[in-house]
Amino acid sequence: MKTEYLTKLAAVFGLCLTTTLTAQAKVNVVATLPDYAAIAREVGGDNVDVTVLAKPTEDPHFVDARPSFVVKLRQADMLIDGGAELEIGWLPPLLQNARNPKIAAGQPGRVEASQGVRLMDVPATLTRAAGDVHAMGNPHFMVDPIIAKAVAAHIASSLAAIDPAHAAAFQTNEKQFEATINAKLQEWGAKLLPYRGQSLVAYHDSWVYFAHRFGFNINIFLEPKPGIPPSPSHLAEVIAEMKAQKIKAIIVEPYHNRKIAEKVAESTGAKVVEFAQFPGALPDTDTYVKLIDSLVNHLTSALK
Amino acid sequence: MVAMWVCAQAVLQAQEPVPSPSPNDVELLRQQVQALTETVKSLQKQVKAQQDVISKINVEPAPLPANASASTAPSPAASTPPAFATTDDSVVASAPPPPPGATGPAAAAVNSQFPTTDASVTTSNETISSTGAGASLTAPMTVAGSVASGNYMNISFDGQFALAYSSDRNLDQLEVGDHDPLQRGFNARNLELALDGAVDPCFEGFANIVFKLDNDNATNIEVEEAFLQTTNLPAGLQLKAGQFFSAFGRINPTHPHTWDFADDSLVHGLFLGDDGLRGVGAQISWTVPVSWYSQFIFGVQNGRGNTGFSFRNPGVDGTFFGRLTTDREARGVQDFVYIPRFESSFDLSATQTVLGGISGAFGPNETGADSYTQIYGADLLYKWKSPRAEGGFPFVKWQTEAMYRRFEAGRGVAQSFPVAETFHDWGMYSQVIWGFKKGWTTGLRGDYVHMQASDFTDSLDRQSRSRVSADLTWYPTEFSKIRLQYNHDFLEEDHFLTAHQADSIFLQFEFILGAHGAHKF
Repeated sequence: MKTEYLTKLAAVFGLCLTTTLTAQAKVNVVATLPDYAAIAREVGGDNVDVTVLAKPTEDPHFVDARPSFVVKLRQADMLIDGGAELEIGWLPPLLQNARNPKIAAGQPGRVEASQGVRLMDVPATLTRAAGDVHAMGNPHFMVDPIIAKAVAAHIASSLAAIDPAHAAAFQTNEKQFEATINAKLQEWGAKLLPYRGQSLVAYHDSWVYFAHRFGFNINIFLEPKPGIPPSPSHLAEVIAEMKAQKIKAIIVEPYHNRKIAEKVAESTGAKVVEFAQFPGALPDTDTYVKLIDSLVNHLTSALK
Repeated sequence: MVAMWVCAQAVLQAQEPVPSPSPNDVELLRQQVQALTETVKSLQKQVKAQQDVISKINVEPAPLPANASASTAPSPAASTPPAFATTDDSVVASAPPPPPGATGPAAAAVNSQFPTTDASVTTSNETISSTGAGASLTAPMTVAGSVASGNYMNISFDGQFALAYSSDRNLDQLEVGDHDPLQRGFNARNLELALDGAVDPCFEGFANIVFKLDNDNATNIEVEEAFLQTTNLPAGLQLKAGQFFSAFGRINPTHPHTWDFADDSLVHGLFLGDDGLRGVGAQISWTVPVSWYSQFIFGVQNGRGNTGFSFRNPGVDGTFFGRLTTDREARGVQDFVYIPRFESSFDLSATQTVLGGISGAFGPNETGADSYTQIYGADLLYKWKSPRAEGGFPFVKWQTEAMYRRFEAGRGVAQSFPVAETFHDWGMYSQVIWGFKKGWTTGLRGDYVHMQASDFTDSLDRQSRSRVSADLTWYPTEFSKIRLQYNHDFLEEDHFLTAHQADSIFLQFEFILGAHGAHKF
């Protein structure tokens, strides 16, 4: 009985808070990672304030749960996270400390971007002998522009629920984003078409969605298993395989050890290609479209 | 079926006009493409509907999305560039994600809106869905696995061992923590079962049960923590109740496997006890609504026994600091230990963070009817982490803690001890950890404890001492570690040891099974 009473009390308090905040001008959106933040800026436009926790250049699996993030989450009207265990190592204690019922799972203020996305590479058996596996599937899905559109739609509908006064604006922005992506897909697709079917090497297995979208095979990695640093014996195998398949590009992200990739490139004649999952990680990639533009350009110039 | 769909797409692609440079034409083209996309979508839906029917008839499982898409991807062999697909049902569910309360394909009915707006109001009578798990009260509880795989509880096991050598034979006297290596040879002092999960919409539950093997290899069990914690109190408040580590300083509230060294710091072990300050009690915390991180924590605990070391601790064989202890029952609220703490944090830059705190622990002790103990603590953490950190490396972490203890030592039971004294003791440690490359850290720690000299009291736990430690740790993954540590101890007196100085070497190894733990700052 007491619990029931407490729940009701909490619900009333929650309701009061929500009502006060809907009266506010801007929706305070916190995104765990810069890709969700970029989409939220597109959809939210001038009606939202977007804060991002992780830096675009750092490993999204291991972000420090800085106390300042607790403050950001406490003040949030909406939280966008992946919901696919990418942030499992640092988000849970932040949420416990933030004590913000608005962004609890299941609330309108909580957008789990992977909802509605069919994750690839869901492991059939869960064993860490396979490295740092993600039980729900590969969580690096935002580099597929079609998935980005779905996430934008998800964010738009959640924003509309939180701030109904600007629902129309959110919808317009979302449609605009969708149209831009649809048009851009033609451009990206055409640019990458000559290289379709080629094999690439990546440092970490975070490009399965990009490969799927644009028709590449990215099945060889410098890491012997996800999260395990490259070993000399594994690199020797990679080099042999790259020579056999005449692979021309090695994809590295800002937080990877570039020296290792360069050594492999040296002995195979391949090029090291700067890739990043997050807008802002490469020069002049502050929006999602610019990031994919940059990936496409980097790849085409390496494969030419 | 797939052939039909490829066919349909080929027809659609063939109908596509050649792009024109005029903006109007582009717009027109765009609209046409959109219309075509719609047609393809509806075709896909039809195909899907048929596939569903077939898959219902067939016992064979449906193809994986990745495979299905491979056969439906636009053909690269086309002579003219084909329109690039702008939708893909194999990666994005055509239906909205199921609302948290609902699971299974039945919930994935065709609908054009994400149901994020009604998640909190669609709970049916039979389910509780605060966590989005749609937990049924009548469903059997399943364990061993993560929340992601549909279980109600995270379960993990941590096994921590050490191979130890010390120039002093009595390692159990030299080391001050109960989970430290306590004998020459192999040690298993912290085998920990950790459970946690959402209890219901109001609470989360945590439990840490520690098994440890003593020097004769007998198993001891310790309920280190078992508490519930509120999840949705308003105004930044949180309540916690049960058996838990007191929020005092940096080391005390943490479990040994998260420590940066293989053993406890001197000041923590000697002031707050070899098992840390913990007990049954309640705690309230409040995050202050300011723009930087600030939190008040206030805890109340029984503070009785060895886990209330400087408080209502009857001591070993009824003796503490040389006095026969009263070991009395609580008289009232004045016999609780009260533990207030305030902590605050700032980001100095995008890569540097500082976290500071002050703590106190106040309560009676057992050396007299009216003798009290006050412990004050201050702690400071500085951390730098590279903006291009991989796996959390490289980083530099500097942590310092200082404590002051005022201990009123009474005259014991029936005034049996000749004098009453008040001890003013203080101590501190400071440590720097450098994560110099992925999976590798090295650390340096200095320890110092000053116990006020007494002409009357001669206790093993009350001698001034200091120590320097250095270690090198390799984390093959975040689920295992191997650590080599060297300690050099300086002791004021050698009444329990064979020399004034001692050298020790520990090779610690650890594994973690089960749920993926999160790292607190």
